[in-house]
Amino acid sequence: MASGGCALIRFALRRLLQAVPILVGIVTLIFLLLHLAPGDAATAYFNPNVSPEIIDRMRENLGLDRPIHEQYFRWLRAFFTGDFGYSFGQHRPVSAVLADALPNTLVLSGVSLVLIFVVGCAVGAVQAVRQYSKLDNVLTFTSLFVYSMPGFWLGLMLILAFSSPALPDALRLPISGVTSIGYEFMGPLGKLLDRARHLVLPSVALGIASAAGVARYMRGSMLEVIGQDYIRTARAKGLPERQVILKHALRNALVPIVSLLGLYVPLLFGGSVVIEVVFSWPGMGRALYNAILGRDYPVVMAASFFFGVLVLAANLVVDLLYAAVDPRIRRA
Amino acid sequence: MDVAQVKECGRRVPAARAATYFPGVLRSAALSLLWLVSLPLASCTGGGQDDSERPLILGYSAELQTLNPLISTDQNANDVIYHLLYTPLVVYDSTYSVRPWLAESWELGEREVVFKLREDVRWQDGEPLTAHDVKFTFDLATDPSVGSPLGAVYLADVSEAEVMDDHRIRFRFASQLSQPLESFFWPPVPRHVLEGVPPEELSRHAFGRSPVGSGPYRLVRWQAGEQLVFEANPDFAPSLGGPPRIPRVLYRIVPERTTLLAEFLRGDVDVYGTLGPTETGRVEEAPGVRLIAFPWRMFTYVGWNTRREPFERAEARRAMAMAIDRQELLTAVLGGRGSPAVGPIPPWHPYAPELAPLPYAPDSAVAILERLGWRDTDGDGFRERDGQRLKFTLLTVASSPVLSDVAQIVQAQLARVGVQVEPQLLEWQTVLSQHRARDFDAVLTNWVLDNFRVDPRPLFHGSQAATEGSANRSSYASAVADSLMDLGVTLTDETEARRVWARFTRVLQRDQPITFLFWNDELAGVRDGLEDVRMDARGELVTLPRWRWGSADGGKPR
Repeated sequence: MASGGCALIRFALRRLLQAVPILVGIVTLIFLLLHLAPGDAATAYFNPNVSPEIIDRMRENLGLDRPIHEQYFRWLRAFFTGDFGYSFGQHRPVSAVLADALPNTLVLSGVSLVLIFVVGCAVGAVQAVRQYSKLDNVLTFTSLFVYSMPGFWLGLMLILAFSSPALPDALRLPISGVTSIGYEFMGPLGKLLDRARHLVLPSVALGIASAAGVARYMRGSMLEVIGQDYIRTARAKGLPERQVILKHALRNALVPIVSLLGLYVPLLFGGSVVIEVVFSWPGMGRALYNAILGRDYPVVMAASFFFGVLVLAANLVVDLLYAAVDPRIRRA
Repeated sequence: MDVAQVKECGRRVPAARAATYFPGVLRSAALSLLWLVSLPLASCTGGGQDDSERPLILGYSAELQTLNPLISTDQNANDVIYHLLYTPLVVYDSTYSVRPWLAESWELGEREVVFKLREDVRWQDGEPLTAHDVKFTFDLATDPSVGSPLGAVYLADVSEAEVMDDHRIRFRFASQLSQPLESFFWPPVPRHVLEGVPPEELSRHAFGRSPVGSGPYRLVRWQAGEQLVFEANPDFAPSLGGPPRIPRVLYRIVPERTTLLAEFLRGDVDVYGTLGPTETGRVEEAPGVRLIAFPWRMFTYVGWNTRREPFERAEARRAMAMAIDRQELLTAVLGGRGSPAVGPIPPWHPYAPELAPLPYAPDSAVAILERLGWRDTDGDGFRERDGQRLKFTLLTVASSPVLSDVAQIVQAQLARVGVQVEPQLLEWQTVLSQHRARDFDAVLTNWVLDNFRVDPRPLFHGSQAATEGSANRSSYASAVADSLMDLGVTLTDETEARRVWARFTRVLQRDQPITFLFWNDELAGVRDGLEDVRMDARGELVTLPRWRWGSADGGKPR
């Protein structure tokens, strides 16, 4: 066991070291792409009536007049010493922009991730257990339908549905923002519930397609497990069906599902760019979107970097989890 | 695992037994979700509150950048800066004439003006607002290292400021100005807060996000990407009307318009600012809300690249202009909410010339094109000359539904006279950068006037024609137009100035460096029950401090 633990740590360290060149590659590529796009922050944020000399002066103030490699190395040096620079568009430090936006994105993606796996696994497992029943067919149809819907469209439909005047007041979920007006006057429980209500629609819009994907995988995985000899053995030794399904079948069926986590985390962050705009969610995705339109390089760079870190971290966690749940991988 | 195997596995499961557990789990999950969803809001908006305390909720789709007047360039932020947070020296009345504001009076002399400031105006931190603050702001605005748009837009012709005493300040003009007082439609910033900040650091200073103003409202909280919370300034100068009527204003940011419209219609937002022309129908039909359309400072135009064939010749540009039916554009795209444009002076401006736009005359356009040698020789419906087809690319902004609709209609209208137009819809920054670099045939875009001063020189003066990055992106140069503009901006006599601007507009009409299409009306949705709302070309929020909730229920739809 001790040697297994050691191997796991060595494995983790190796993966961490591999992440460094990947991250540097990501930021370099984004830096180049951004600078290839026409326009810059000095033109994006300036009144066209302002004379070209003043715009040039601003460009100088922002360091945008220097050659691109110089800008790149200046940025890289500052970035790795913890100075993320100033946002041209928001006129405040990028660290402040991130401090506001990152937690919101993490909460939204976290809730969506839980939703994806809990709903996906539950639906998939139910379908497997009731294979070829009417319920199975309905759920198959529904999940394929949901899987093929674009998130932004689903988001807009949810918004229209939940702002219908026909709905009773209590069912009219918030369609924008993280908190209600008057949030600061609520009690602690009220605040929590208010935030939870605001999370419902965006997290559903962000996660439902992936949940449908997980359900499909889970159904297949569960069916395979249920057909195994050890399940028959469990039944044969007289275990209650509940225990057979929940303990023996479900646990084993979940192993391949863990690897999906690594696939869905990047999808979540990509999706958050659109969903955060649709639901006015003040997170990183929206900050990134606005920053790209405004050529706000420091924000784009920092946001992409953090998205990169989060995706790599999620993949690392998946690999570690996989190694943890499957002894064969650990030994290999 | 292939499909056959799955089927095989499935048959071995005693389905009835196994199935009893999961639906139970699902059912309880669904029930708890429903419970969460249906919990009544701990604190509802609006309903049941005393109307005198009811907050006003504004909804906008664009984020604000900064509330520092020295560096702000965005229209929505300027609306807040000029009308809610600060007190400009002078303001405009509803006829767009200058009237006193922070300055209670002035003496206009030969190339100078002395302002007498009100003595009861204070900064929101309690310090008095004095002439020193005004001078401090002037110095920063004209310092090139700040790069302030105030300096560029208002103060280009003001050479010097001199404090005479705490409440009197003298400004000297570099040249004689037609509308000298228009140079002072800007608010001072507090010297005691910003003194010592290096000028090039100003745009990064925290002041832009936590400003100390002097206006009827103060900013209490700025939740980035969500909302700005303003509260009435209880100490707002009595001589300027005292504290505003609505105690709390929430400026909400909802980037997606569909979401914003839904929020407005369901009663979570009271004013939907900068509403789009495609959304008017739903607002007009909905109960409890109304649509306000008002003239705005923005015109839509087609700019021709006068350095490229066939637009090098004024005749060719004029032919294009006469083949475009402005009235059709206005009706089809804006639902008639706007007015045809003749020149760069808006029709509601005191200096607006009484001139009809160039007529829609496709026959005359055809005649000009024929005379220039463009004929349809191969019968394909498009004209050619020396084997070259008469075609050009019309560059425009993809994200603007109005502009992309206009581009398509213009394409159809010009096809009727045998001109092939290829609309090219690109992202805004890309359009701007190609336009600035003069890398275009023709461009369809908007221009917004910063204020009510008539000064079209940046757009049309020959001295700007070759300047890289200047606003004269059609590279128009005409000695007659130049001398008329140079004269017009110095004329103090209103009748004479109007005559010169009319002549200038006629020159533009003849030369067509750009073809003016229309002045867009601005639109806003307003909840019933909100009274004394008046919006005009000064801004949507110009009268906000006098708005109030009427006694009727605010029309919150059920």
